[in-house]
Amino acid sequence: MQNAKDTFYLTLRNRLAIVNPARTMILRSVTRPGILVEDAEAFTAQPQLDAFTLRWTGLSADLHLPSILAQMTCEIRYTTAGTQANAGLDRGRALEKMDYELLRLLYPYSAQKMNCTQNPAVSMSTLVFWSEPDFSPAVTDHDRLSRIAKVTVFAFQEPSES
Amino acid sequence: MADLSTQNPCGVAQRVATALMRAGGGTTACLQMPPAPGDAADTGQIGVDAPGFLSLPLSPAVFRKARATLQDGKLPRYELLVSADAVIAQVAQLKLSSAQALFAQASGVVVAGKLFLIEAVSSSENQGTAYLYRLLLQEAAGEWSM
Repeated sequence: MQNAKDTFYLTLRNRLAIVNPARTMILRSVTRPGILVEDAEAFTAQPQLDAFTLRWTGLSADLHLPSILAQMTCEIRYTTAGTQANAGLDRGRALEKMDYELLRLLYPYSAQKMNCTQNPAVSMSTLVFWSEPDFSPAVTDHDRLSRIAKVTVFAFQEPSES
Repeated sequence: MADLSTQNPCGVAQRVATALMRAGGGTTACLQMPPAPGDAADTGQIGVDAPGFLSLPLSPAVFRKARATLQDGKLPRYELLVSADAVIAQVAQLKLSSAQALFAQASGVVVAGKLFLIEAVSSSENQGTAYLYRLLLQEAAGEWSM
């Protein structure tokens, strides 16, 4: 299941670099596309602005198939305070831009599963596939706007992963 | 109306704060900073590679339990008072733009071999210059000795 999570993140990260090359952040001294896995980074008291944060929550497994089918819920969280040039008054537009970017990142809804613990990553036998996003209402916190989009990610557990 | 009176900062507040920190049982706190250059590999972004954090000493500092009431099931919170002189020295050494940038990059603070997470940072100023930084910390859940 970890390979599926890694593949999902790296797929979205690589697509973001194409969809919006300007959406970058500096994290741990590295400039990289503005997307991160929450449980693979250090704790921060405040959410990273103008970046997508992946939080893995739900997990269920279908055991009645030749291979175990894992279903994992990924919450994609994003927050913006707008831009300095517009004194934050464009935060609604900035959130809408991120909504649209996310739709583009998620399509197509599948990718070849990779074992990313090796360098270079090794292609595996099955696909990772996921649902369309389920967008929650935008939440206002003072001058910040946030949203959570939930995606269900599916992956077959391969024999080499056990 | 603007205050146009002449004020010549002479650093007395910074020196007093440093002396008070030292006299008040000053200790050393170590910021956990990412190495430069960082790990740009895929494995560095998915939790496979060790981050290789560097310890950046800040001294003198005073560490104490925060006034907040302890709540059942919640980790205790502490506060760390750091002399601005110590912070300014590290900001200059790392060629950062500000103290806020320094604390924003830190993944935590180690005091007496124990890791704490930074919840908030504030500063006290005199004549427009910080003389003391106050970090609100929460004990890290992992019981690692650092």
